[in-house]
Amino acid sequence: MKRSWLVASLIWVLSLAAIRCSNDIPTSSLPSGGSGSAAGGPVGARLGRPDTNAGTWRMIVLTSANQVPVPAPSAVTSAEYRAEIAAITAAQAGLTKEQQAKIDYWSTGGVLRWNEILRELVARYNLPPAPREDGSYVFPDAANPFADPQFPFSNPPYAARAYSYVSVAQYEALKAAWLYKYQYRRAAPSAVDASVKALAPAGDVPAYPSEDAVLSGVAEIVLRALFPAAVDEIDARAAEQRDAALWSGRAAPSDIAAGHALGRAVAPLVMARAGADGMRNAIGNAALWQGLADSTAAKGQTPWKSLETPPRPPMLPFFGNVRGWNLTPEDFVRERPPAPPSTSSEQMRQEVAEVKNTVENLTREQLAIAYKWSDGAGTYTPPGHWNQIAADYVVGAGYSDVRTARLFALVNMAMHDAAVGCWEAKYTYFNPRPSQMDAGIKTPIGLPNFPSYTSGHSTFSAAAASVLSYAFPSRTAELDAMKDEAGLSRLYGGIHYMSDINAGKDHGRRIGGYTVEFARRDGAD
Amino acid sequence: MKVLLSTLAMLGVSGALCAQTLTDGVMMPRRDLCTGFVYEHDRWSEYWEGTLKRDNQNIGSLTTRSVVWMGTYGVTDKINVIAMLPYVSTSASQGVLHGMKGVQDLTLGVKYEALAKPLGSASLKLFAVGSVALPLSNYTPDFYPMSIGSSSRRASARLTLNYTTRPGFFANGSGAYTGRANVTLDRSSYYTDGHLYYSDEVAMPNVIDYTFSVGYRRSGLVAPFSFTQQHTLGGGDIRRQDMPFVSNRMNASRVDAGVLYYVPKVRNLALKLGATRTLTGRNVGQATTLQAGLMYTFHFGGPRS
Repeated sequence: MKRSWLVASLIWVLSLAAIRCSNDIPTSSLPSGGSGSAAGGPVGARLGRPDTNAGTWRMIVLTSANQVPVPAPSAVTSAEYRAEIAAITAAQAGLTKEQQAKIDYWSTGGVLRWNEILRELVARYNLPPAPREDGSYVFPDAANPFADPQFPFSNPPYAARAYSYVSVAQYEALKAAWLYKYQYRRAAPSAVDASVKALAPAGDVPAYPSEDAVLSGVAEIVLRALFPAAVDEIDARAAEQRDAALWSGRAAPSDIAAGHALGRAVAPLVMARAGADGMRNAIGNAALWQGLADSTAAKGQTPWKSLETPPRPPMLPFFGNVRGWNLTPEDFVRERPPAPPSTSSEQMRQEVAEVKNTVENLTREQLAIAYKWSDGAGTYTPPGHWNQIAADYVVGAGYSDVRTARLFALVNMAMHDAAVGCWEAKYTYFNPRPSQMDAGIKTPIGLPNFPSYTSGHSTFSAAAASVLSYAFPSRTAELDAMKDEAGLSRLYGGIHYMSDINAGKDHGRRIGGYTVEFARRDGAD
Repeated sequence: MKVLLSTLAMLGVSGALCAQTLTDGVMMPRRDLCTGFVYEHDRWSEYWEGTLKRDNQNIGSLTTRSVVWMGTYGVTDKINVIAMLPYVSTSASQGVLHGMKGVQDLTLGVKYEALAKPLGSASLKLFAVGSVALPLSNYTPDFYPMSIGSSSRRASARLTLNYTTRPGFFANGSGAYTGRANVTLDRSSYYTDGHLYYSDEVAMPNVIDYTFSVGYRRSGLVAPFSFTQQHTLGGGDIRRQDMPFVSNRMNASRVDAGVLYYVPKVRNLALKLGATRTLTGRNVGQATTLQAGLMYTFHFGGPRS
């Protein structure tokens, strides 16, 4: 009897030992900074040059860095400030492990952290509305964001625009903060008073107004406008960021109050531009959608149609009219790629055959590339993927917060412009997908519900890669390879012809060039 | 029905019964090998998106066809080893999603008869079963519902209690805990269960299942009817209009009827038929599965009477 159980136990133990389980999957790709981190020290984002002249860098939306006034702070010798120091010392004396963890989290850099939070929000809200019983679709409603369908549907154009507005608002607000920092030059509490510990790297950047609080204020306005259903979470994160700034000895309460107010004042100026950029007209209506099909047919071309059942309205067909950052409407028309091969041409026939042949003979490596860059529903989208790449580059690059914000603003302005330009081309030509041209083409990734020409992935990737190559010239070859792989992934996925990919890459590179031109003349180099 | 069963019993078909599953209460005698192939046809047109039951016209009905090789060998009368290996292919009747196919996971199990107690004319037996499942090909788990499997290495510890009367009626209860190893995707981030994860690794929640069966078993025939409940101990729901994900909380209750019938004129050859229907579920399709196969028993220890 005993022996029986011994054998049984042995069988089970051997079985369970054969697998290795781990539930420790990271929800961040960023290193944690601060003295309590496992890495044992701060990360590059807070160690770089202080960029003392960032207040003079060229503004994008604001007329000048001092458009929002920030009053002079009290002197560090004042009774008021001494009381603030006492408050920090008291907070630090009772610091919990959880509070230290929050300090570590935020000391990676507020721009990087908010970018990561934004990517998560995009992934969470990147789901198309479900069809109703009668086969119709309801569009997400900003006034009723908690309903089904939830608002927003953060698809690639929505996401590209969202990443750009968040990044630009952060960048504008931080340039303003930098102007006042070096105007008033009030040091961080940990540098003013030895009783305050520096629990996160403060660098040499003056503390008034607090850049952490600036970013928290921007997030409260901009992220809330873009993801209204996530309001509680956004507000909680923003408050936590301000708390961490105080607990860490980086900022006194008055540094934080001034930064918070500055962020909350700059953000609406940027969002006013968003409110008037034409996004509200990007969906159109049934008559306008039919007009796109009719005008394409009138040119003798097969018009795109939705291959979903029930047919889904095309994704944001008038996003091509949305205001760009560094291209004017005339620029977009001038840069528009030439027409795709005629749907009745021999070249088109060959390209359709190429897609089918590729999908039916896909290697495991090609399938892996298709999934690596799939970035479809429920993901942070292709612009999010390039934000992830940008974040990886920034970590350890020795950038100040304001220079980090500049990089994300540049990359995301270029990708927003890429989205506008690409969508302008897609709905100018209204070109069918491979599976529409040949119903035998089945796709190993999801088929996007909008016209084929040009490839959005290729356009986004080329635009982002040009900006990142400008900022990190030593990594140009790697960026080129990533851009090419992202483009090819769409052929492997069976959802794009090579014409779409090649035209998209060329288009994206030209569009990215406008932002690079802006960057070369903005006073930051 | 009863007449039929008696008739079959009277035919006195030779050979021990073939044990094919990890959950049944049957052992192969020492040096007997029961092996064969089973074809399975599994199809659903409605599924549970979380707890919401729906159809999806971009899938239509999802069909999974499998050819499964099975083998059970009696190392001793009390220790059997069991192996299974399916080749699986999937296809959707509507929409553009590409089907997938390939060799799936090899299951290797050891079944041990830990206890056998006569209770009057009946007998009570207790079995301990340990098994592992090892993906044999590099298929992707990142394309549910088209993926052919989870690609997770798994290990199960199972206990089965079987009560069989002399005329051959039996009741069987079996429960298992299955640990599942992390799986690897071809991408570096994914969103599930309320978080964006920055890794190509996905933690797989473990699973418990239990099965109750009643049926009839004599030499020549086995006919069980079962109820099975599977609970996944974690994982997120499919969000509204999202695709399913490998680590979703996949729960299901199923009923299953089967028959293993020894072909009277061919020694040692058995026909296996079965049907399974999903009754309730979460993040799974409401599937109907039909199976048919042939099993052959080799007596390496020499012929038996």
